Amino acid sequence: MEILKQKPSRHPLEVLTFLLLLLLSCVTLLTTLGVILSLLGDVVEFFRRVPLREFLFAPEWTPLFANPRYGIAPLVLGTFLVTAIALLVAIPLGLSLAVYISEYLTPGRRARILGVLELFGGIPTVVFGYFALLFVTPLLQKVIPGLSLFNPLSAGLVMGFAILPYVSNVAADAMQSVPRSIREAAYALGARPYEVALKVVFPAALSGIIAAIILAASRAIGETMIVAIAAGQRPALTLDPRETIATMTSYIVQAATGDQPVGSTAYYALFAVGFTLFLLTLLLNILAQWVVERYRERYE
Amino acid sequence: MNRTLTPSPESFAQDPWKARIDRVFARALVLPLLLALGLLALLLGDTLYRSVSVQVVRADMGPGHTYPFGLSAEAILRQELLAQGYTEEEADFMLQDPKERSALFLQNRVELMWNTHEGPFRYVVTNVYDKRVADFSLAEGLRRWNELKANLQEGERLVLNPWLDQTFLTRPPSRSPLTAGIGVAVWGTVWVLSLALLLAIPVGVGTAILLEEYLREGRLSRLLEVNLRNLAGVPSIVYGLLGLALFVRGMGLGPSVLAAALTLGLLGIPVIVVTAREALRAVPESMRLAAFALGATRRQVVFRVVVPAALPGMVTGVILSAARLIGEAAPLLLVGAAAYVPFAPTGPLSQYTVIPVQIYLWISQNQPEFARVAAAGILVMLLLLSVLYLLALYLRNRFRREW
Repeated sequence: MEILKQKPSRHPLEVLTFLLLLLLSCVTLLTTLGVILSLLGDVVEFFRRVPLREFLFAPEWTPLFANPRYGIAPLVLGTFLVTAIALLVAIPLGLSLAVYISEYLTPGRRARILGVLELFGGIPTVVFGYFALLFVTPLLQKVIPGLSLFNPLSAGLVMGFAILPYVSNVAADAMQSVPRSIREAAYALGARPYEVALKVVFPAALSGIIAAIILAASRAIGETMIVAIAAGQRPALTLDPRETIATMTSYIVQAATGDQPVGSTAYYALFAVGFTLFLLTLLLNILAQWVVERYRERYE
Repeated sequence: MNRTLTPSPESFAQDPWKARIDRVFARALVLPLLLALGLLALLLGDTLYRSVSVQVVRADMGPGHTYPFGLSAEAILRQELLAQGYTEEEADFMLQDPKERSALFLQNRVELMWNTHEGPFRYVVTNVYDKRVADFSLAEGLRRWNELKANLQEGERLVLNPWLDQTFLTRPPSRSPLTAGIGVAVWGTVWVLSLALLLAIPVGVGTAILLEEYLREGRLSRLLEVNLRNLAGVPSIVYGLLGLALFVRGMGLGPSVLAAALTLGLLGIPVIVVTAREALRAVPESMRLAAFALGATRRQVVFRVVVPAALPGMVTGVILSAARLIGEAAPLLLVGAAAYVPFAPTGPLSQYTVIPVQIYLWISQNQPEFARVAAAGILVMLLLLSVLYLLALYLRNRFRREW
């Protein structure tokens, strides 16, 4: 209750406790500051060496070659390709799962299935990467001729399942917060359960559902191990899901596991890519929050 | 006469088409769940299947070859047997008996440890000598078992190799798949995780208490909340870059356990804050009111009433967060976990590697047999995680209170 928080005590022990808690929580603020500052320093150094135009418009990303090019486009395109494939899997599956969880299950079963999904989301992504590379890719290679060993297709498909719980849980939450009275009003008008779910609850929860999709996209963009293992580490300016590509995250892994002399341009390029990734996911997260705030249906 | 413009609710409900759509819809909705569970089963099954293989092994003792320190393979085995508690006569007897001898060499996991002045020295005998002639998948190996057995050459043996065995858990990594183990990585995970939690728990729980029990809605609480929400959305690999720039380079910690723990700790804070806040929110307001009414100060209310009541929930949350942190490979790849580390960490400044990173390194090896080692590693990690989940589940049910 807000009213209980109103009178601060002057007793030294009370003040001390408060200050201690304040100090601890400052670590979270410092983390953000640390992320931005530590990235920024090296990013500035990078752009002192490489012009922004080269970074944005060069068609190749080859910082480790003798004749290096620093165009982020292939990495961004690779990231979007994998993310798009993942979302193609995760959106239909996740949303129908959310409808099922929220509208068709008794509360007891709902809790159990949410628990199972939580477990699903808790599987380390290295495991998903392993599965994509050694199970899904050989399977797909039988169906799709010309599929390379490392390809965004199987990485994206498996990643779709990995981010499935994010879509379904957030969307189911949004649907759950649609008040019961609205459902009952619809039933009273003679609507069938599927009509209630699709024509009443779904639109009412739309802002939360869109936020769920945006958040899942942000997860997919930042997801590292699946792409590093299964999608490959060769930057290519292509939208062909059969070709080996590289994403922003898989480039960071590649550069980090190789030997990068500190101070080389390739080393600073690591931070330039990381900063791009950070900005992209931050923008998506802010967008998701804005959608929720702006388009939330308010009841009562 | 009496017809209305819109059909009555009854006619809606009885529309046979809609009834059919309704039934189909309800059934179709189960599909995604089945698909997800099916994928999970496939994943587990595939990993299990890959972690066992049929192998033709040749024990080649390589006469005349000496190991470091001028020891022959035989002398090493003898020392090992003595170390295992056999007497001299028994050891001599076992080495003389040709059958025992080849079995000893075939066990292919004989390891020795000496204490030299440079620290413990570990040598794996069969690293060099045990040669796999062939490695078959379980199905193929079993199908051709008799054929393979009939074609065995002198000194070869057909074995069913479960890659996940007892010694796998304790062995250090190796450049040979047969002798690679996950021991060092397990200890690395234990070190990194416990230090990370040492950072993340006080900060996470403290922030949660501040937000839930102390701060009124205002600029500070909004700032903290927005910041936490954004931190939770930052990809974990970006934390790795932070760790690389700040801890490894900036603070000069190098690729050490401490740098990894700080990185992982920061990553874990937002998760712990969320779970701790949930636990605090579940404590009913009436308890706080009652404590205040008895004249308790805020500190007393929070630390003697609210926090003890929320403790089971918090512990569950911390365990679940720890489970999430165990699986994190990406940020640690950037702060030094990708190095080849033959020894378990001995302190906060030692080199380290962790389980998921070790698995990633195995997956990216060229030799196909490393895929089997990786499968065994994945099984270890999943077992560890399921123990943690079960523990969390048990605590949640055991201490659940209805207020």
